[in-house]
Amino acid sequence: MSVLGIPILENLYPSTMDMWPLEAKEFNRNWQFYENLKQGRLTTTKCKDCGLVSWPPRVICPECYSENLEYVDLPSKGKIIVFSEEVRGVPLGFESPLIHAVIDLGANPVRRVLSRIVNCPAGVLKRGDEVQLSVFPVPAMPIDKGKLGTVMFERVFFAFEPIKK
Amino acid sequence: MARHAVILAGGQCKWGVREAHLVDLFQEGAKACFDDIPTLKPKDVDGLIVASSYAGRCSFQVNTAPVVAERVGVKPTSICTRVDVLCAGGSTAIILAKGLVEAGMADIVMVTGGEKLYTPQKWEVFYSELASVDHDWDGTNGMGLPPPFFSLTAQEHMMHYGTTKEQLAAVSVANYNYAATNPVAQMQKTLTLEEAMSAPIVVPPLTLYDCCPITDGAAACIITTDEIARKFSDRPLVYIRGTAQVCLNSVSANFPGAHLADWKHTKLAGEKAYAMAKVGPGDIKVAQTHDCFSISEVIEVEEFGFCKKGEGGEFCGSKQIEIGGKVPVNTDGGLLSCGHPFGATGIRQGTEIMKQLQGRARHQVEGADIALTHNLSGANAEHTVLIYGREPVK
Ligand SMILES: [Zn+2]
Repeated sequence: MSVLGIPILENLYPSTMDMWPLEAKEFNRNWQFYENLKQGRLTTTKCKDCGLVSWPPRVICPECYSENLEYVDLPSKGKIIVFSEEVRGVPLGFESPLIHAVIDLGANPVRRVLSRIVNCPAGVLKRGDEVQLSVFPVPAMPIDKGKLGTVMFERVFFAFEPIKK
Repeated sequence: MARHAVILAGGQCKWGVREAHLVDLFQEGAKACFDDIPTLKPKDVDGLIVASSYAGRCSFQVNTAPVVAERVGVKPTSICTRVDVLCAGGSTAIILAKGLVEAGMADIVMVTGGEKLYTPQKWEVFYSELASVDHDWDGTNGMGLPPPFFSLTAQEHMMHYGTTKEQLAAVSVANYNYAATNPVAQMQKTLTLEEAMSAPIVVPPLTLYDCCPITDGAAACIITTDEIARKFSDRPLVYIRGTAQVCLNSVSANFPGAHLADWKHTKLAGEKAYAMAKVGPGDIKVAQTHDCFSISEVIEVEEFGFCKKGEGGEFCGSKQIEIGGKVPVNTDGGLLSCGHPFGATGIRQGTEIMKQLQGRARHQVEGADIALTHNLSGANAEHTVLIYGREPVK
């Protein structure tokens, strides 16, 4: 892979241009979120001391500052409150139609999660439609391991998709 | 005796798609500012606050303040720093400068903001916008570019309050026509309601003129005390009476309102700034609210109390934001028409308000004595309000 105009970046990975999270344990203390996602589970952290469920996941409870947190499952199905469809001019990294929706996952703090709707053509979605979690692979992240060379770390991310009737 | 901060002078360079480097734009912005006050020289400036959010990504330059100081010929001795609050950077820098001069920690501060966003390949700025929202949790959903978010906002305003597309278009028409004769605005064209209503779709219900453009540009202003200002200028003094900056969330899912058209953080910022300024919504004679999208201005006039919640569409659609209306808004063209080089916008707004309160604005509001400026930044994550007046708070 060469980078146009910058030959010195041939075969190098600029993480500052990476649109996906640095999900690996070496770079992210919330790595468990992504491991859970790989199992098809949408999770977040809950404070074992004060009980606060945070979204997105944390390493420290923002309410009581406890570090005693655990991962809990969030609902993986919800209803569309409102949505937008972008058909033309979709930004680099996304395909047309780029559909965004405010989704009610039924429980705080995810009563109004703004996410993306995938596996859905333009013009078919309606307010109130039911959607479910969709986990998909995103490009692996090359990590320089010194003498061991470059290790490719597999990554996933999530969106929602219409439930087929 | 108490020190009261004033905005002494201000200016901006030509905004738009500029054949220039970021540091060129900062020099042009500083020149426009000094041109506004020929008695003040760069050597008189003891502090510099630079507002720029994309210097790091689009110009490969962090630690921007010393670079700007050197290029614009100032030699700061009290403060020399940069702030990054995206769209609110300029206003934030004015707030900080007010605090410094009123505390006696600085005397004459140049506040400057600028962005060079058009890179040699167009994709880069659009892609880099993924950094404008919470990268891992909103950027990953393709929310870097804001039209989808404000489409959802507009739809919820329509759902809850019956706002119409025509009322959104009225904001674009007003702001375009305000800038039609503004030589430094990015867009300098008149706009009719028919043109606005039949414009190309961006993300429904938003069409072309509902959205502010991407802009290169810079602006600068001088913040000092009233006592020092009198040594340099005979113009009426324009005081910074009240300020507020409210941040209640970053990730969109934690939006503080009941829905996306309920801007509790905006309202809170307004209330706090009004209280500090010892004025109320009825005192505001002219305002510069953050019209990144037409729907934003509709909601802002509600949250700042210019009309009742839910009646922003009617307010904007019935010419209350135009000269002769209840509160003329964005009288220089706003973001929709002047453009929006993020860190520079708050300085453009402050400069327009300074001119309004000094009676020398292009579209002058008669008797303007109290005015408001406002910025929204990020994915509607933070709100910044300043209230200016012809008198200090007593
Ligand atoms: Zn806790």
